[in-house]
Amino acid sequence: MTDTLEHAGSGIVATGVRRAFGDVEAVRGIDLTAAPAEVTALVGPNGAGKTTLLLVLATLLVPDAGHVRVAGYDPVHEPDEVRARMGWSPDVFGLYDNLTATEYLTFVGEAYRLGRARARSRAAELLEQIRLPEYADRPVHTMSRGQKQRLGMARALVHDPEVLLLDEPASGLDPRSRVELRELLRALARSGTAVVVSSHLLGDLEELADRVVFVDGGATVGEHRLDQLPTSTAARPWRLRALDTDKLVKALARQGYDADPPTPAGVDVWLVSDEAAAELIAALVRDGVPVVACQPLGGALEAAYLELTT
Amino acid sequence: MTGSGIATVARQEFRLRIRAGRWRLLLASWFGVLLLFTGLLRAAVGGYNDNDITDKGVVLYGGLMLFVLGLALLVVPALAAQSVNGDRERGTLATLQVTRLTAADIALGKFAAAWGTALVFLALTLPLVAYAITQKGVPLSRTLVVTLVLAALLGTVCAVSLALSAVLSRTTTSGVLAYLAVFALTLGTLITFGLVTAMTTETYTQTYSNACPTDLPADLPDAQRAEILAQCGQPQTSTSSRARTDRTWWLLAPNPFVVLADAAPRLPEETAEQRRAREEREARGEYQQSARDLDPLGSIGNAVRDLRRPPADDNTGGGTAVLSSRVEERKPVWPYGLAFDVLLGAGALLLTTRRLRTPARNLPKGQRVA
Repeated sequence: MTDTLEHAGSGIVATGVRRAFGDVEAVRGIDLTAAPAEVTALVGPNGAGKTTLLLVLATLLVPDAGHVRVAGYDPVHEPDEVRARMGWSPDVFGLYDNLTATEYLTFVGEAYRLGRARARSRAAELLEQIRLPEYADRPVHTMSRGQKQRLGMARALVHDPEVLLLDEPASGLDPRSRVELRELLRALARSGTAVVVSSHLLGDLEELADRVVFVDGGATVGEHRLDQLPTSTAARPWRLRALDTDKLVKALARQGYDADPPTPAGVDVWLVSDEAAAELIAALVRDGVPVVACQPLGGALEAAYLELTT
Repeated sequence: MTGSGIATVARQEFRLRIRAGRWRLLLASWFGVLLLFTGLLRAAVGGYNDNDITDKGVVLYGGLMLFVLGLALLVVPALAAQSVNGDRERGTLATLQVTRLTAADIALGKFAAAWGTALVFLALTLPLVAYAITQKGVPLSRTLVVTLVLAALLGTVCAVSLALSAVLSRTTTSGVLAYLAVFALTLGTLITFGLVTAMTTETYTQTYSNACPTDLPADLPDAQRAEILAQCGQPQTSTSSRARTDRTWWLLAPNPFVVLADAAPRLPEETAEQRRAREEREARGEYQQSARDLDPLGSIGNAVRDLRRPPADDNTGGGTAVLSSRVEERKPVWPYGLAFDVLLGAGALLLTTRRLRTPARNLPKGQRVA
């Protein structure tokens, strides 16, 4: 424990991670860094190797190659040091249906060697934090999907980890639960936790993540701060709405823009850049079209995702 | 590995078991079956009059314990045979493995919960054991040893079932194999012993001579008398075949029934006082049969000890003196069997721990981490 200071707040560093299952190489060169006090999004198509990478970081799988440090420790040779500082929530609930929420979290606390009394008080704390105090004495099988998801999250937080790994935490959650999850993760990051989230919900990630790591085919294909995403040169859809849709469609046709047929939501136009959008709005206003909205469809993250992955 | 880690897992497993199963029904049927068996056995050894047979407890207790073992071998594999792979299927194993519990904590905790449950079943037989003891003839040492050996044997079955659940990914496969393992230990050892012993059958030649009779009847015809006198005193040979069970007895040793029966301390000899009392009663013409002669544990135990004995090569006419000295040559079989079974259980726990160790390097085909 003498080197606690040296290790403190070191987040995750993984370079050149490889892992095969038999003949299938699930991960063949993923790099990922996740700094403390930041949310790092892990994004990529299904089968890109995200879950396998998280299993390596969570001390469950030995990588075939690569350098990995989680909270400053080697998950292969110092798994107990890593486990004491890392929380992991898999893409399945993995809960025991017949236990109450308090019993379950107390058990996990004991498994993290908090001691019975501390584990019990920590369980109560966490149930407040994930807003499930009314489920303290109710069995898990009476909970909704979103509630189970939050309980699974609380399980990963029992020992107040420095590093939090979440595999698709928001899949199947209703909008309110997703907003709450986002707020919880932001709060954890503010308090210094290094959070890694794998997810397909790019809209959510855009409001949540500080950094994003794109993986595809088992390898890292891009690693960016969210405010410095690579700008795409390909045309993206922008959605226009006007008080008079007919007038808008005619004006677009007159000016030779490539527009999709109008829908109740508006008219989608394919534009290559923000400048092109500004130009279009100016032209429409000059033409006397009563424009009320012009916004890119899908965020910058989605654009970057489509650009970087296949 | 820590005691508190094992206790954490064991408590949790125990709680889950209690909530998941219909235990009251299961335990009630277990007790009901044993009660019925004890009642029938008691009626069977009863005789017309309570005083006809002494020491009925010997038969009741021995029969009950062998029956308990048999029934437990049917119940106990199910207690652990889906413990690890079932958790894997439900996704709860990996969430345990990322905590600070070690692989040994999880393996031994799961084992403790399964074994503890098996011991609850065993504890339920105590009222019936107590009843058997009131029927006289069962020494305290026998009940102690038999209980301990039963507990150890059930532990072995739990450990082997647990290891199968850790090695195999599918719960149905490990369930079936756990019962096959019990089958191998019980009927399997018996069948193997029978078949292998048949192969050891050898022919041997015996030389013997009869002493010349001195008290031949006076009216015996001369021809016969001459024939008898001509043969006697001469060495004769005869050839026959015999199975060398002294070379194969160990195949039976791991059999749980053999271990249990042979480990049971033998009944004490009749004391001088008891003998006098019996002789007095017999002088009055009151004969009592003793259930000691029907001792189920002792007779199985003696039978396997007899198998272990090498054949006597010069069987020069029997005689009670020779026979009794041969009885003392009976060497116990159970220490080998119990050692084998306990080592088997220990090995199974070691294997379980290895399979639970993370981070995992190699995964069996088709097995997911989480």
